[in-house]
Amino acid sequence: MCLFFYFRDRKEWADLEPVPQDDGPNPVVKIAYSEKFTDVFDMFRALLKNDEKSERAFALTAEAIELNAANYTVWHYRRVLLQALDKDLREEMKYITAIIEDQPKNYQVWHHRRMVVEWLNDPSEELQFVAEILSQDAKNYHAWQHRQWVMQEYKLWDGELEYVEELLEEDVRNNSAWNQRHFVISHTRGYSDSAILEREVQYTLKQIKKAPHNESAWNYLNGILQDGGLSSYPGLLEQVTELQDTCSSPYLTAFLVDLYEDALETNSSSYDQQETLNKALELCKLLAEEKDTIRREYWNYVSRSLQNTEYITDMLQV
Amino acid sequence: MLTIVFFALSGLDVLDALDVVDKPSLIEWIYSLQVLPTDDKSNLSRCGFRGSSHIGVPYNSSKGPGAPHTYDSGHVAMTYTGLACLVILGDDLSRVCREACLAGLRALQLEDGSFYAVPEGSENDMRFVYCAACICFMLDDWSGMDRQRAIDYIRRSTSYDSGIGQGAGLESHGGSTFCAVASLCMMGNLQEVFSERELKRIRRWCILRQQNGFHGRPNKPVDTCYSFWVGATLELLDVFQYTNFEKNRSYILSTQDRLVGGFAKWPDSHPDPLHTYFGICGLSLMGEAELQKVHPALNISVRAFESLRRLHEAWRQKST
Repeated sequence: MCLFFYFRDRKEWADLEPVPQDDGPNPVVKIAYSEKFTDVFDMFRALLKNDEKSERAFALTAEAIELNAANYTVWHYRRVLLQALDKDLREEMKYITAIIEDQPKNYQVWHHRRMVVEWLNDPSEELQFVAEILSQDAKNYHAWQHRQWVMQEYKLWDGELEYVEELLEEDVRNNSAWNQRHFVISHTRGYSDSAILEREVQYTLKQIKKAPHNESAWNYLNGILQDGGLSSYPGLLEQVTELQDTCSSPYLTAFLVDLYEDALETNSSSYDQQETLNKALELCKLLAEEKDTIRREYWNYVSRSLQNTEYITDMLQV
Repeated sequence: MLTIVFFALSGLDVLDALDVVDKPSLIEWIYSLQVLPTDDKSNLSRCGFRGSSHIGVPYNSSKGPGAPHTYDSGHVAMTYTGLACLVILGDDLSRVCREACLAGLRALQLEDGSFYAVPEGSENDMRFVYCAACICFMLDDWSGMDRQRAIDYIRRSTSYDSGIGQGAGLESHGGSTFCAVASLCMMGNLQEVFSERELKRIRRWCILRQQNGFHGRPNKPVDTCYSFWVGATLELLDVFQYTNFEKNRSYILSTQDRLVGGFAKWPDSHPDPLHTYFGICGLSLMGEAELQKVHPALNISVRAFESLRRLHEAWRQKST
């Protein structure tokens, strides 16, 4: 057990009167703070009251952060001091690196890092740092958010597609990595380049063959093709139907439903409308009764909606 | 702290057990968290509610002007939960400085339409858009935000897979999807902002989140709280009825702690106020016996929502 030298007993702090929390006569939420916690935060409140800008104040913020790294007021005050005392921001980067390693799901620590990176105007460590954090949890939302901010702010797009592919090699089901893939491409070459689009379609189909029951890959395929229309992408229907025997999954079936629905909505001349509707309804039934029974009621609802849409009346008028 | 009080209080409300609470004391305490305008009104852009008394400002249950303090300002999530708690407790919000709260809120909105949590700056994302929408809705006053900008932010945050992320380019997520859809519903704009085609896709993304309980992102493990985040979104989109109630209910109940009660994110894990509250709300969405109904956008009991409605009627009558 550690002995803590309370701030209230330290002679260098004797001039400051600690300020207790004041919850009035009927405190509702009585948290059983430890003595150390109360001591540190009573002193913090005193510093805040006087808006003291000093080395001792700076040192105290570290103690407060150790006790509660989610206290955004402490972090803000620390930033005020970093500027007022012209502190070494490289040292601060080391400090925040250690804290994030320890508490990678805390909002305040990532925001603080972002502020320091902005002040230094130096993103050079960021991608490596985030990769480090992602190596411990490849789906940490804060990490990905920071990564996207750095990349967009400092235009650091090089090598990211390769990084994403590495992650997908490790785990083809990593939805964050698929999202990042879309992020990189849409901010660089873009999907309106048909060579890029075809490359992506083929890449995704390849990943689907490796792991057919992977919602992320199917969402990506659907997502990049939906603007152009699933039913009009050359060869797509054939390539997907081909997969049915070996790589069947509810996602494949749902994809076909979406493709057929697109053919109906666009009144595509390459598709027999009645036959397409029948196929779509058949697949909804397959999903409801066999392939995706947890969503049985939903697939029945989709089926009913398909039968009740305007293209049905169009069909009847023909 | 105020957010934890909200989970406990709203939870008790849904359990129809609010009489265990000392309502008047709680109301006083919540009002003591209001960041009040100072005499010279120089701090209006910092007004709202604090999360706790941790700054050390002297106790003042909103009786008289605020005491100036360089570091005292409201937090958007605390203003939201503070107002919600007052509504749940049946308070008439007469001690809320509405104009100050709205000024404080306006000061938090960025150019891209999203919101900071505090005027000193913080991260900005869909969570705070939701908090802002709840505040405007409860105060019945949308001058607290530029609605069009917020709507633009929501549209830009919609992913290629039709789920909604915390911001543009970010991974779609059950929590942010709820925040976005619920905000639009409170604004009354859902059908204008998204086409029927887009809404169909959002419904599909959401309904695919059910594994037994719900998860928040594709290929992630399920977690009790998503039974509310995703469940409520599906309810707002009129398709919650097509989910599998049995499996959802089974999952939520499997995360219950047999010793101390409450719910956790996973079975055999430690329960906490957040997961307990959202577990209860998740069950309420399915019409669980003995639970009050929850308003899926504002996330308070329908009963509390009705009392808010009556308050709004009284305000509107007064102004005419």
